[in-house]
Amino acid sequence: MKFGKRLKQQIEESLPAWRDKFLSYKELKKLVRQISSAESCVEYGKADAEAEFVHLLNNEIDKFNVFFMEEEEDFIIRHKELQQRIKRVIETWGPNGTKPSEAEYKDEMAKIRKDIVNFHGEMVLLVNYSNINYTGSLAKILKKYDKRTGGLLRLPFIQKVLQQPFFITDLVSKLVKECENIIDEVFPVEQEDEEEIVKEQREAITVAGKGIFRNTVAALLSMQEIRRGSSTYGHFSLPPMDLPDSDLIHSFQLNSPIPIV
Amino acid sequence: MPSSFLALTSFKDKYSTSPSSFQVSSGREVMENSASLQESSLAPSNGTLGNSSLSPSIVTDHMCASALPHVQHSHNPAFISQSSRDLASLPPLDASFSQSTASLIHTQGNKDVSWSLDRLQMFLDLPENTPAPNQLVESSTGVLASEDHNKKTNWQEWADDLINVVDPDWSKILDNTNVLNPRVEVPKPSGDISKQQPQFHQNQLVPHGEFSSHAYPSSTAPPTKPRMRWTPELHEAFLEAVNQLGGSERATPKGILKLMNVEGLTIYHVKSHLQKYRTARYMPETSEGTSEKRITSIEEMKSIDLKTSIGITEALRLQVEVQKQLHEQLEIQRNLQLRIEEQGRYLQMMFEKQKKVEDEKGGVPSSASDDLLAPLPGSKHPPCNNGKSDSEALEQDHSRTGIGPGNAGTNEDKSSSGVSTKLKMLETESTVHDESGFSVSKRARTEK
Repeated sequence: MKFGKRLKQQIEESLPAWRDKFLSYKELKKLVRQISSAESCVEYGKADAEAEFVHLLNNEIDKFNVFFMEEEEDFIIRHKELQQRIKRVIETWGPNGTKPSEAEYKDEMAKIRKDIVNFHGEMVLLVNYSNINYTGSLAKILKKYDKRTGGLLRLPFIQKVLQQPFFITDLVSKLVKECENIIDEVFPVEQEDEEEIVKEQREAITVAGKGIFRNTVAALLSMQEIRRGSSTYGHFSLPPMDLPDSDLIHSFQLNSPIPIV
Repeated sequence: MPSSFLALTSFKDKYSTSPSSFQVSSGREVMENSASLQESSLAPSNGTLGNSSLSPSIVTDHMCASALPHVQHSHNPAFISQSSRDLASLPPLDASFSQSTASLIHTQGNKDVSWSLDRLQMFLDLPENTPAPNQLVESSTGVLASEDHNKKTNWQEWADDLINVVDPDWSKILDNTNVLNPRVEVPKPSGDISKQQPQFHQNQLVPHGEFSSHAYPSSTAPPTKPRMRWTPELHEAFLEAVNQLGGSERATPKGILKLMNVEGLTIYHVKSHLQKYRTARYMPETSEGTSEKRITSIEEMKSIDLKTSIGITEALRLQVEVQKQLHEQLEIQRNLQLRIEEQGRYLQMMFEKQKKVEDEKGGVPSSASDDLLAPLPGSKHPPCNNGKSDSEALEQDHSRTGIGPGNAGTNEDKSSSGVSTKLKMLETESTVHDESGFSVSKRARTEK
């Protein structure tokens, strides 16, 4: 149940509009339990039960795919628009622009920076979404299924999952990287004194609310937790995470009703 | 949560507000929506939904945001074809709803198979319901995936309602386009799509049907619109077409489609994409519909004395750094997962091959485990910790015995025999995972 709890946490920590797009882990677990207990019951034969389970999983996968591709499409559009926007700002209010204005330029750039960073964050969260669902449907629920019912569903099924659009996050990752480049361009070079400020700020930062930043931190911490301890290690389990600079992450205290243990 | 489900709001009320009501932003709202839809669709004449005996398990946390009616799904195949015809006749109502994260696809409700039949009857109050475990299922076709076998006529009514409420553009478009089902069928496999510039992936729903061992109707539910996976290149082509036609306001989907001239691209894809584009363009990032609910970190940070512009920039930098880290970790994790599965595949292949060999020898199943284990560590390859050399060794093994992977299928029946137990043991045993890959030989020895 540990994973189930974590998943629930993750879902609650995620962007509100996304919350129902995650794997219905609980339902599937229930079904698995039913199936294994009903095996003795002839009424719902094993083959039927398995078909039912598979059917549900397929639905889940479809759900992921659709959501993922919708978001991805949005990202593609917004990515382009951001680039255009930057160009426009530079060309209008920049030093060599049509109506150069330092104040406007700074103002717009500040807005752009904020938007870009949030955009970046959102994309990363989508990749995270994909991963959570994969981990959930792969490592957890299928493993459970096989364990409880003695089936061999996992391996072949997973192969198919690996080819699903929602799992193939290459494009979004690429957009993330491109975004990082843009960010580097748009942000002023870090100064000496800024580094001081940065260090202070990192000492204790409470991340409240439901912002993207918070979700990201939550996701990282969650991921670390999921991989830290597993009651059943097998060669299909992921090893503990190696999070460089983990003190940075841990310096964030998530101000939430649900403590992330 | 169950209580909100029971809250009855009339369908008209919900949808007489602005189109933004389609952008469902919280699960709660959603459930009221679905409740109202459900109510109007299923039990128009009674208030069974208000019935307190209604099992809360029917509505789960994962009841999805859906602007469109839920329906039950029966396993009766006859139904499907019937309702699919309905679906087919209402294709255009999908695309525009895809703006914000309100997906058209609804997750299933509870598929608790232990629902008693009479409970369902009560809930639905429809005697003509088929006595199969009813499920609030959806097949995600990206369109109106729900089928209401009992309420065909209501369907039409809703469709009309929706049309009236939505962007007036729609009715024009609906008039123009064929309401036949020109693109009901999933297009042929991607091999048929000509390799024009730009390339695009076309994801089909039918392949999902391959998953199920039985031909479950709903998993191969008639997709009324194949899902398009957009790429930056495709988007560029789109932009070019739009600009040629005088901008996003002037350009029409038809015109864009023609100009783009991409095989397999349908007007519905273009329409929905155009809608998204318009939204993104005229609502800059900060005020986008989807970001309404998001409190950006900047506002949070402001409370910690970051009023200076440097402070904000720093906060942003910090945010980026954390985001980058998450991304990095995700990539690492993904690669790990891929590798794990790859090795699992090889392992299975190897086992099945071994089994084949021993089958041919006419070996007794009970001694199969010995046969399987013995050759492994010794003759084939030296004990190794490196996953890569495992696979290589496997491949050598493979070619030596000359058995192809295609034979794997035949051996799957004997679930109690050596092969599957081996796999199961491997999957569930508690030895610590070795970061560099699993060592088959090590395990094999310890097992025996």
